[in-house]
Amino acid sequence: MPDVSVTIDGTQINVPVGTNVVDAARLAGVAVPVFCYHPKMKPVGMCRMCLVEVYTPKVDPATRQVVMGEDGKPVLALMMNKLQTGCTTPISEGMVVNTASDRVKFAQKGVLEFLLTSHPLDCPVCDKGGECPLQNLTMQWGPDSSRFDYEDKIHFEKPIPLGDLILLDRERCILCSRCVRFEDELADDNVLGFGSRGRSWEIISKSTPAFDSKFSGNTTDICPVGALTSSDFRFKARVWELKSTPSVCNLCPVGCNTSLDMRYNELMRVMPRENDAVNEIWVCDKGRYGHRYAVQENRLTTPLIKRNGEFVSATWEQAYSLIAERLGSYSGAQVAGLAGPKLPNEDLFSFARLFRENLGSNNLDHRPGSPADLPLDDLPRTYGVGKGTNLMTLGKGTAVLVIGADPEEEAPLYQLRLRAIAQRGGDLTVVSGYPTKLERSATRKVRVKPGTEAQFALALVQAVAAEKLASEEVLGSGRLKFSDEYRRVLAAHKFDDLVAATGLAREVVITTAKAFASAEHGIIVYGRSAAADPAIPQALAAFAALTGKLGKANSGLIALRPGGNFRGALDMGVRPDAAGQPGLSAQQVWQQAGTGVKAVYIAALNPAAENPAAAQALQKLDFVVVQDLFLTETAQYADVVLPAAAVIEREGTFTNAERREQRFRQARQAPANLPADWQSFQAVAQLLAERAPVAVAARTLKKGAKVFTPEAPQGWTAMLTSDVNDMVTRSVSGYNAASYSALSTSRGAWGRQPNEAVYYDGTSYENTEGVGIQIAASAEDSRTTLQLNLSAPALRPVGELVLLPVARAYDGGDWVRGSKLSARQVPAHIIMSVADTARLDVGIGELVTVSSAAGSITLPVQIETGLDLGVALLPEVRGSTLGALLTGAQTAITVVKA
Amino acid sequence: MALRDIHGAEIDTLLARYAQRRSAVLPLLYIAQDTYGHLTDDAVREVAEIIGMPATDVFEVVGFYSLYYTKPMGKWVLQVCDDVPCCFCGAEELITALEQALGLRAHGETTRDGMFTLERVKCVAACNKAPVLQANLDYIYNLTADKADELLNELRRRADSGEQLSVSGRAATV
Repeated sequence: MPDVSVTIDGTQINVPVGTNVVDAARLAGVAVPVFCYHPKMKPVGMCRMCLVEVYTPKVDPATRQVVMGEDGKPVLALMMNKLQTGCTTPISEGMVVNTASDRVKFAQKGVLEFLLTSHPLDCPVCDKGGECPLQNLTMQWGPDSSRFDYEDKIHFEKPIPLGDLILLDRERCILCSRCVRFEDELADDNVLGFGSRGRSWEIISKSTPAFDSKFSGNTTDICPVGALTSSDFRFKARVWELKSTPSVCNLCPVGCNTSLDMRYNELMRVMPRENDAVNEIWVCDKGRYGHRYAVQENRLTTPLIKRNGEFVSATWEQAYSLIAERLGSYSGAQVAGLAGPKLPNEDLFSFARLFRENLGSNNLDHRPGSPADLPLDDLPRTYGVGKGTNLMTLGKGTAVLVIGADPEEEAPLYQLRLRAIAQRGGDLTVVSGYPTKLERSATRKVRVKPGTEAQFALALVQAVAAEKLASEEVLGSGRLKFSDEYRRVLAAHKFDDLVAATGLAREVVITTAKAFASAEHGIIVYGRSAAADPAIPQALAAFAALTGKLGKANSGLIALRPGGNFRGALDMGVRPDAAGQPGLSAQQVWQQAGTGVKAVYIAALNPAAENPAAAQALQKLDFVVVQDLFLTETAQYADVVLPAAAVIEREGTFTNAERREQRFRQARQAPANLPADWQSFQAVAQLLAERAPVAVAARTLKKGAKVFTPEAPQGWTAMLTSDVNDMVTRSVSGYNAASYSALSTSRGAWGRQPNEAVYYDGTSYENTEGVGIQIAASAEDSRTTLQLNLSAPALRPVGELVLLPVARAYDGGDWVRGSKLSARQVPAHIIMSVADTARLDVGIGELVTVSSAAGSITLPVQIETGLDLGVALLPEVRGSTLGALLTGAQTAITVVKA
Repeated sequence: MALRDIHGAEIDTLLARYAQRRSAVLPLLYIAQDTYGHLTDDAVREVAEIIGMPATDVFEVVGFYSLYYTKPMGKWVLQVCDDVPCCFCGAEELITALEQALGLRAHGETTRDGMFTLERVKCVAACNKAPVLQANLDYIYNLTADKADELLNELRRRADSGEQLSVSGRAATV
């Protein structure tokens, strides 16, 4: 963009065309005070705090030429002959801005005096006190006294709830509309507005439930006063008492950077930590309010061993010895390990080593083994978005294809980030078989017949050939190899048949393919519905590869799968297919429980909660170890239960959906000094190695060597989490550059200037502790050949209705414990179309019995007006027992009124 | 009965009149107000549902305009102008007469029988015929205090006659 030259308070500076005066001043190192303006949102000029003197060169109306003065310089004229709001005034060539003249100071003082006419003087009891822009700006720019009568201050009942999470103090509100605009513009939740008028003007929320937004907490951050406070943090602490620890949220694969604000050992609040490439300055409510589980009283604190059907407390030595003894007594094929995708990389790496090296078992999985599990899919390792990807920088020239995903439910921050790309001029196509929120922001909303995303994806591949959309560069490089199956599938599925199956017009598919192929950057985001059928990721990878959207920054695939660190689990090898001889998947483990499989070690997973088959299988096993924070449904079946430190009580790394590895730190001392999960894995491995030293390199051991000692068996000598990380960087492909010190490197973000706390105070934490390192996709190495494969789409089952499982952010999982969001968790239900519910004569909330070949369950009904006839959606929430019903990616069901 | 059942045809006509459904929000709110007497929370939500607007946005509209009533009103809403020209011509005397006749104060209070609500308003743009009162937004010109009783009787008679009244002014003739 061309630059224009402006002078701000005597400093000449070149700034891009379109920059407003406030932002231009920031670039020149001049702070213009603001309340309503926020760089992430459109300016509105409501608060009048940024009034400045703006002079532009005088233009002769007759000649349209700049009038030159006697000194040879342009004659300047005060714009509109009055002060201008800096946020709504774009700079122009030759502009001279004065932010500190007497006239401006007079206006600023006046605005602040006016804003304070009704603002209460309750800073000592206000949660915002200490990080309040109104305090800061009043100190720097405000008057020292007010001419208004103190008794005339307007009083409101305080506070009133805007929703169950956010409280509104109307006396403190200065009506800047930052919260309203955030919800409307960024989050696309039209849940806040202005009620009444004049002096009674106030923020209202009339949605059901009130303030129904998954991003509501962010409004408390950007509120420049203490009007919006969070029920989670209200009156908990003064902000200056808090110590911030950099952390990373592991509740979904976005990997938002957070700051855990601690007072001593108490978690006071979770705040976003800025990272342009991940969460900008936001965090969803799940990430903000969903970490209280770690501070619950009912956490496990000692190992438990089951004796005569009762759990009794045991010492760590007893527990570890028993585990090592029992696990070691089986052959590798008889033991299996399941470790959840919310565990950090260090744990997953150690877990995989324990099984592969010490137990000689490849029976590893990070999925719970339910029929609702998604097939393994590691295509983003090759075709994922390249190193240097930063969605915040994308707009015009970028095409984003979202298919079979509901980003707000699966990875909420993507709702904001993908919508923002569309708002900046990017081309956003949302392909879905059922209504999703993101499609409201789409350039192209493509509603396929439910369950035909695979046909759509294959049609895109066919369109590449038909419309000659293939990238010459990629085809010419000779890197693409096509399997025989690829050719067979393409030959067997004609474009017109595929399009007909989706129920779309062929132009829709062709336009989508062309928009993607012709864009400079192309990103494909696919989620739960797409990943359920392996044919879809394969076709999407082929489409991205053929159109040249691979192996570079801002192009490629992004998979959204369950688990905040699913990407780490795949990379660290907690998967049955990682080694030469494939092991059993979690589903196979349950099927072979008691026959082929005798013992299972389960960490951070709760399969019994959702899957009755897993609960039965657990009872058939000889020996079960469960490692978790709580005595979960699964732990009830365990022979040994090991507690562990929560994420906030240890350090480690997570890898997010874009393969960005990020480091989090320890914020809290674990109760009873509980070990991190990897420490228990290591302790067991050390004992196993002692028992069977042949399993690892022989080394003389001191008799009775304790766990965690440097003399421990070779390879299991980690003292600190960073020691495990060293091993990860040495042995996991792609992670060699991601050492802890490298992960700590920070760069400035969102153009925050020094000392901007004056007006962005309390907004989010500046990132000083590392923005993470993106792991390169293997397609970025130009020597790799790219083997493309395709599969025939899963056939739509024949039946009265087809059931599709859908993801939900508020899934009622273990993270809900102690969370303010517990009220927002919905009980299990089935979602059906208007026509189907009318046919069955059932209304909202009435019970139906849903039956498939696998089993049947009874659930209340919800009606979705946008849903097609013949399809039912079953949200994956606690209690839905999806496992009892599903027979594949799509399940034929019958529904009768219960 | 829901709005759709009572005023379905009129609502469809209104919705068809505009390029965007949300443009019909003001007339639909008037219909809801007349149907339910005032705009209850449920009534506003019903309008939001019909138009397909977020409920909050419709509440913003209701809060902004003074002619949407969120508390119960009389069958007749009497709005007396107390701006300068009307005052010169006897508006205060008129207000006092009405207050005495109705036994209430002109702060938006409603008679116990639910017949009249009395409000003061600012200029209603008929200064040449002051003092002016609006009865359900129909102008009553040159209304001096001595004519107050006569007017009230006439309005009561009209209400009792079963005439369709509209506090939203949908029946107003000017």
